[in-house]
Amino acid sequence: MSRRLAAGTAAAVITLLTLTASGCGSTGLTAPRLQTSLSSTFANLYVLQQTEQGNPKPSAASLKSQASCQKGGTPDIPQDGSGVWLCQITYLVAGPGYPVIAKYNVDVQTDGCYAADGDGPASVNGSPTITGPHYAQLINPLSLIDGCFDTT
Amino acid sequence: MTLAAGQWPAYAEPAAGPAAGPSDPRQRSGTLVVWRLELAKLRGQWRVRAIALMCLVGPFVIVAGLNVQSATPGDTAFGQWVHTSGFAIPMVILGFGGQWLLPVGTAVVAGDIFSSEDHFGTWKTILTRSRSRGELFAGKFLAACTFATAAMVLLIITGLLAGLLAGTQPVVGLGGQLVTASHATELVVVSWLSVMPPVLGFTALAIFTSVASRNSAVGIGVPVVLTLAFQVVTLIALPAWGQQVLLSTPFTAWHGFWEQPAYVGPFLYGLLTSAVWFTLCSAAAWLVFRRRTIGGAS
Repeated sequence: MSRRLAAGTAAAVITLLTLTASGCGSTGLTAPRLQTSLSSTFANLYVLQQTEQGNPKPSAASLKSQASCQKGGTPDIPQDGSGVWLCQITYLVAGPGYPVIAKYNVDVQTDGCYAADGDGPASVNGSPTITGPHYAQLINPLSLIDGCFDTT
Repeated sequence: MTLAAGQWPAYAEPAAGPAAGPSDPRQRSGTLVVWRLELAKLRGQWRVRAIALMCLVGPFVIVAGLNVQSATPGDTAFGQWVHTSGFAIPMVILGFGGQWLLPVGTAVVAGDIFSSEDHFGTWKTILTRSRSRGELFAGKFLAACTFATAAMVLLIITGLLAGLLAGTQPVVGLGGQLVTASHATELVVVSWLSVMPPVLGFTALAIFTSVASRNSAVGIGVPVVLTLAFQVVTLIALPAWGQQVLLSTPFTAWHGFWEQPAYVGPFLYGLLTSAVWFTLCSAAAWLVFRRRTIGGAS
């Protein structure tokens, strides 16, 4: 009985592996996917931050935000997988239209979800709270960004 | 004394032979009888009542707890928004507790449902009744799945109600977009429903360990340990397919629903993963159960 059970378990594992091994060895956690997700999420949250502060509402597209992400450390680290990524988001400030670079330390988890921690400039993402109309203290949506991207 | 045909007591009915297929109406009704009896037995168990109570009041306790403090569970998705919108609360519960609380909850019942008969030595008693092994297996299996489904439905309702009670402001989605109250309600329900398949997968897994081990401590313990093992393995940089094989991965598929644009790829793969686990575990459990010698020297 136990040998039969072991054989069954082995067959189950092999079936599972063949079923799912059709993909490849990649984790699916690649820089382009992270950059696309982070830049669009940032743009949406920037719009939210501006409206919460009582500023004129910019459109997310007008920011032309672009993220550039690298896995931390030396250049020979494979640019793939979970862990800490360093990202720079370049966007055009509403109004004058000059470029600003916002920096983030991004902790990417294996399921494709990430937590991006603001690392400057302080006025954009440095403080966990912002001041709304009537001096109300609100959560700064750009201080900590939670997002996910498709790894499949 | 004579008994008219059809008036024989239930235990005197001819037992359904191995030839009786699932299309046999007697077998189907026999499964239902076992299912109803098992549900009645479950209702009497203290752990079933405790889980039901937790599902009923847990979300409200969490809302009350969040109300008396200003700190937020910031290290999980939606955590920073729990004071801004009530819709964040059921999602934090799902994200924070879903991966281990739900599997453990179903394993506590499913991991015991077969082995308790071994513990009390009651297999011989119930197998001498007119119910075949197939009917017994199906009835018990269905009862465990019914419990898991009922507890999940209860948790979805109370979680959503607790969230609505806390506030119906728009919530910030994972794509940075503002999600309106009506759409957020839909997403909360759909997200919770999306973890039903892996929960049922864990139910089948616990039934298999319960049948194979004939011991409730092992039957419940192995799925719980596997849950923790999955959590550890998830931290390793596995290739994408390696992550998809794990039964814990489908518990995180709902994140895609809250993105902009929403994506369902992980959910579909999770559906496949859950179905494979469910099928293999229930088939293995049935094979072991069918061939077991009961009453002989073990």
